[in-house]
Amino acid sequence: MLEIKNYSKSYGEGKKAADNVNITVESGDIYGFIGHNGAGKSTTIRAVVGVLDFEEGEIFIDGHSVKKEPMECKRVTAYIPDNPDLYENLTGIQYLNFVADVFDIDEAERAQRIKKYGEAFEITSALGDQISSYSHGMKQKVAIISALIHEPKLMVLDEPFVGLDPKSTFTLKEIMRDMCNHGAAVFFSTHVLDVAEKLCNKVAIIKQGRIIASGTMEELTEGHSLEETFLEADQ
Amino acid sequence: MKNALILLKTLLLSTSRRNIIKYSTDKKKKKRARGGQVGVAVIFVMIMAYSIVACVGYGRYGMAASIPALCAVLLSGLAFFFTFFSTNGYLFNFKEYDMLMSLPIEDSMVAACKFMYMYIKSLPWYLSISLSMLIGYAIFAHPGILICVLWVILSLILPIIPMLAASFLGFLVARVSAGFKKTNIIQTVLTMVFVILCFFSRFFVEALFENGKAQATLTNASEATERFTGVYLPAGWFAEAVTKGSISSTLLLTGVTILLFALVFRFVGRSYRNINSALKNHAAAKSYKMSAVKKKSLLWTIAYKEFKRLTGSTPYMVNGAMGEILALVLGVATLVVGFDRIVAMVTDNAPFDPGILTPAIPFIIYFFIGMMATTTCSPSLEGKNYWILQSMPIEKKTIWQGKMLFNLCLTVPVSVVSTLCMCISAKVSPVDTLLFVILGIALCFFSTTWGCVCGVKHMRLDWENEVEVIKQGAGVTIYLLPNMFVVMGLTVLVVILGMKVSVELMTLLFILIASVLAAVSYLWVLSLAKSENAPKKMK
Repeated sequence: MLEIKNYSKSYGEGKKAADNVNITVESGDIYGFIGHNGAGKSTTIRAVVGVLDFEEGEIFIDGHSVKKEPMECKRVTAYIPDNPDLYENLTGIQYLNFVADVFDIDEAERAQRIKKYGEAFEITSALGDQISSYSHGMKQKVAIISALIHEPKLMVLDEPFVGLDPKSTFTLKEIMRDMCNHGAAVFFSTHVLDVAEKLCNKVAIIKQGRIIASGTMEELTEGHSLEETFLEADQ
Repeated sequence: MKNALILLKTLLLSTSRRNIIKYSTDKKKKKRARGGQVGVAVIFVMIMAYSIVACVGYGRYGMAASIPALCAVLLSGLAFFFTFFSTNGYLFNFKEYDMLMSLPIEDSMVAACKFMYMYIKSLPWYLSISLSMLIGYAIFAHPGILICVLWVILSLILPIIPMLAASFLGFLVARVSAGFKKTNIIQTVLTMVFVILCFFSRFFVEALFENGKAQATLTNASEATERFTGVYLPAGWFAEAVTKGSISSTLLLTGVTILLFALVFRFVGRSYRNINSALKNHAAAKSYKMSAVKKKSLLWTIAYKEFKRLTGSTPYMVNGAMGEILALVLGVATLVVGFDRIVAMVTDNAPFDPGILTPAIPFIIYFFIGMMATTTCSPSLEGKNYWILQSMPIEKKTIWQGKMLFNLCLTVPVSVVSTLCMCISAKVSPVDTLLFVILGIALCFFSTTWGCVCGVKHMRLDWENEVEVIKQGAGVTIYLLPNMFVVMGLTVLVVILGMKVSVELMTLLFILIASVLAAVSYLWVLSLAKSENAPKKMK
């Protein structure tokens, strides 16, 4: 579903924020991406979703090149940034309708999905209010619903659990599992290693732009906790 | 195409006051939105009245035939400059970039939608001028109904070419800046160089015409305008279409506009993601070594924070520091070229003694410095970061004092140096020079404190794009209009009084007036800091 091949990204003077990153996420995978602050997680994620230009390597989504066929990639992908900058003066429902329009979702389907996820995240009653009046968590919920509205094949999330209440965190994890059971894939970054350990079947650890460990959870941890594995790999 | 329309509709909806009034649950916000609508309506009325009066003036002097050309030149010039200053923030480097670019919408389509958004948002301003000028023109030229319809239609098209030119220039600035490590600084410098070149290009253009022995044709504004339409063809096409009903000019203007639109966004679209990637992402140097850190007083800490805010933002830097740079350039140029020669160049060798202008030196310098006070928008620029100051043990008045201190640091040295340069060049006596310098400083104090009153009273934290508060904020507009009219009026008054009353006495009087106004404004700021007018919290 997602293939990152020899991806590198430099910011001026040859300093590499991502250095020869190779990751393969298959259908049904919940893939965790962990690393320190500034390790290169967001730089990689933003390149995957076609927001950040990159010079070296290739990224394929569902067999399409992010560089050469960005539209085909974006049509099957959903992205939730770490700090969603939504249109603050729109109401929640106006924003969801905007995204649904872009993905050309018919009215009955979008109404059904908004209802389903709105109720799951307990935000339906607030959808008529302006986004500017929302808390961080509420904005995050609207961003998540907007990501789910077109039933993506690949969901890419940057720190998705920050700001979510415990029930919504649980709901999101359930939705991620459900998506993967239906053949989609999830690729997300997180600092919450406990969540990653319980949720993901594959993990990659990135340090100073380089992948220092990756594979299935069992291969990587070898009976230890993910926290212990991460700290050991980090040394 | 369908997605482009959806995006454009959403962009417009996301910044519409109507949406706030309809859906916001915040009463203060609704009130501000309604107040904003009234304010905008008042400015529209002022612009329309001014445009009609200008046309009546043209008509009375038998120059009604030049009104279409004047309209075309005015619209084109305004469209160019407003767009150029808004490019960074609207077209490039905008806040919701990640969200938009992750959607399945072509890069060139996003860029074109952003452009169309800028166009539609500014169109009412251009139309208010154009339609008023049509009324003025109709009073004297009695055009047929077809011409009036053509005028309206072409007014919709006319601003697009200058807006495209400004966007393309903004694109080039962004493209060049994107290749450097310090993209923000390069972008700021390039923008400033361009504005300064535009500002002083008038002299080069005049010199150009002089070489062609066409000085006689520039004896009045009407002929200069007509001449400009010969250089800037779209303005000429507009004028010809609405005066002669020329079909070919109409088709040319429409066709070239469409062609340029397609070309520009095909070109911009190719590097759009690349440029935005470079502008929005910076490498962390990670090279800092812990060393001794200096302690600053609270006021200087806030002032220093303002300095970093100014230098960290291209729109803020270009708007906030441009007046100071122009004042400095003018001061130094006067010292090098000579006061008399500069006066002769600006007044087209008008037959009068340049010496009568010397009492106005502080006001000439202040005209540039006072164009913008950082205090008018710095309270609003706190935006979503306002909580940082709010949660700290700092009194509101200290925050505003720190912001005022920064504006004084920016303006006072420039005022002193520029005034000294002009006074030396104009051979002003030492006593008068001292008084002019003091008057300049007093005016800086007035600008700073009056700006702060406007900035605090019309503080707006919920902006999407900082250009909204730097260029279009209510605080900036309310500061600018009275300040500009007062300064222009005072300059004329000083020149007239200077011929009859002692310059020293008159300058002392103005120092007193400026100081009193500054003191009143300062006390107003302090009372605002105490009162409920200063927003206590943001949502």
